[in-house]
Amino acid sequence: MNDVANIEELEPTEPRAEEAPEKAKILLVDDEPKSLFALQELLSMLGQNLMVAQSGEEALRLALKNDFAVILLDVRMPGIDGFETARLIRARERSKSTPIIFLTAAADEMTSMFRGYEVGAVDYLMKPVVPEVLKSKVAVFVELFRKSERLRESEDKLRRLAAHLISVREEERAHIAREIHDELGQVLTGLKMEVTWLAKRLKDKVLIEKTDSMCGLIDSTVQTVRKIATGLRPEMLDDMGLIAAVAWQAKEFQKRTGIRCRAKLPAEVKFDIDISTTMFRIFQEILTNVARHSRATRVDIELTLGAEQIGLEVTDNGVGIQDNELHARKSLGLLGMQERALLFGGDVRINGSPGHGTRVSVTIPLRKPK
Amino acid sequence: MRILIADDHPIVRHGLKQMLAADPSATIVGEATNGDEALAMARKLEWDMAIFDFTMPGRSGLDLLGDMKKEFPGRPVLILSMHSEDVHGSRVLRGGAAGYITKDSAPQELATAVRKVANGGKYVSASLAEILASECSSDPQKALHEKLSDREYRVMWLLATGKQISEIAKEMGLSPSTVSTYRTRILRKLGLTSNAALVHYAVRHQLVG
Repeated sequence: MNDVANIEELEPTEPRAEEAPEKAKILLVDDEPKSLFALQELLSMLGQNLMVAQSGEEALRLALKNDFAVILLDVRMPGIDGFETARLIRARERSKSTPIIFLTAAADEMTSMFRGYEVGAVDYLMKPVVPEVLKSKVAVFVELFRKSERLRESEDKLRRLAAHLISVREEERAHIAREIHDELGQVLTGLKMEVTWLAKRLKDKVLIEKTDSMCGLIDSTVQTVRKIATGLRPEMLDDMGLIAAVAWQAKEFQKRTGIRCRAKLPAEVKFDIDISTTMFRIFQEILTNVARHSRATRVDIELTLGAEQIGLEVTDNGVGIQDNELHARKSLGLLGMQERALLFGGDVRINGSPGHGTRVSVTIPLRKPK
Repeated sequence: MRILIADDHPIVRHGLKQMLAADPSATIVGEATNGDEALAMARKLEWDMAIFDFTMPGRSGLDLLGDMKKEFPGRPVLILSMHSEDVHGSRVLRGGAAGYITKDSAPQELATAVRKVANGGKYVSASLAEILASECSSDPQKALHEKLSDREYRVMWLLATGKQISEIAKEMGLSPSTVSTYRTRILRKLGLTSNAALVHYAVRHQLVG
């Protein structure tokens, strides 16, 4: 029961998309009011939201503010003609893949048909249109529009879920690391002080040996606690900032793998901890990949701090990642880096050439998106 | 000598007091449980030196140290920390601390540190001194292992971690005889004669971990 409640809490304000699907918008463009009226009549039974424009200019204005399932466009219009209107509509980011159906009156426009397809028409209808043909064609595009909307929504949900998981995991790690390090570590410190106090008051050699070995045990436990806590989340990142943490991680990596690291880093400053964490985790993932797959003997690291963004470039001299590895479904580690960067409006680019190593470039804007 | 201590863990404060009690010249004038309280006490009380935990709730770490140095520039602050020296040590000293001591150090070390800092000196443990020395050696190229090529370095590391020639060959995609050649070259460059000496060299220079 509790589980169900928790799941619902995750997305409290999300309305159900299926229950009341919003009407799809369809744009009808024709300079003749009569044809416009006829089109409206024909399509009204589809039950969608019909919008009309009597000129290319008007159509452009509407396309700027709305996402249409399909646009029906008359070829012959005064001012900007249909072709030009289509070209301009498709040139814009928002409407670059909006399907356009051309309407033309004359049967002698075979050549213009090619022009139409060139500027992005998906279909052509001769006037006078056959009502059944028109309706079913438009219905197909409405359905397609709905499906892609749904796909976009679920993509968006997945992305938000991934983001949520990343931040929850990071918080949890930080929390556990702090608990282990502080609570456990401090108790061990206290314990050691007590044992030392005791040792000073002992005369019996055997007992002193015992307290000595207790101290030794406490020391090695402290080391273990430190190792576990740092593995979960390096304290360096919180205390000293990203740049110091990257330097430290590079040194650790060299010690752990024997792969030489050279780091070029800016002067140490602290900035936004979330961006720092993101960059640091991506950096760790890059190094993991180097150790696992590259057979490199050297890694060059460069961190640059600009006014607007922070950049990280990691280059190795290994075998070089192949394009097919880059796009393999299995490469969840790579996907994870992209997702992390994307959360902050940044991006990750990976280039590899066989025998010449791999280069990973990460940029993250310093100002958070939104 | 009037001492101000700050640590959010009662057990550590208790231990500190116990240890300082052995020194008749030391009096603890204030005991803070977090960074903000520590700063407030520093403003209110009469004190000669402070012993602060590095990580506390509220203002702490380098920020707190910076505040203390700004407001009480002449008075020494000894930083006590759970974190190992290689991670924080040199930065804390650069931040103006009179000394950096890890909580797992021997109590005698703490006593030495307190005495030294109280007399206006700086306290640096032997291991931190080594880190500082390696950090500020102006020419890192002088270390012999820096003369190894990247590939030689990796072979050296693999040898130092106990890998056999055949394993190294497989791991690096080289022939065993090439690896042997590398080994000979590495030993010559480092002025060593055996694998055992190489392991020793790597450990001493902290090249393996």
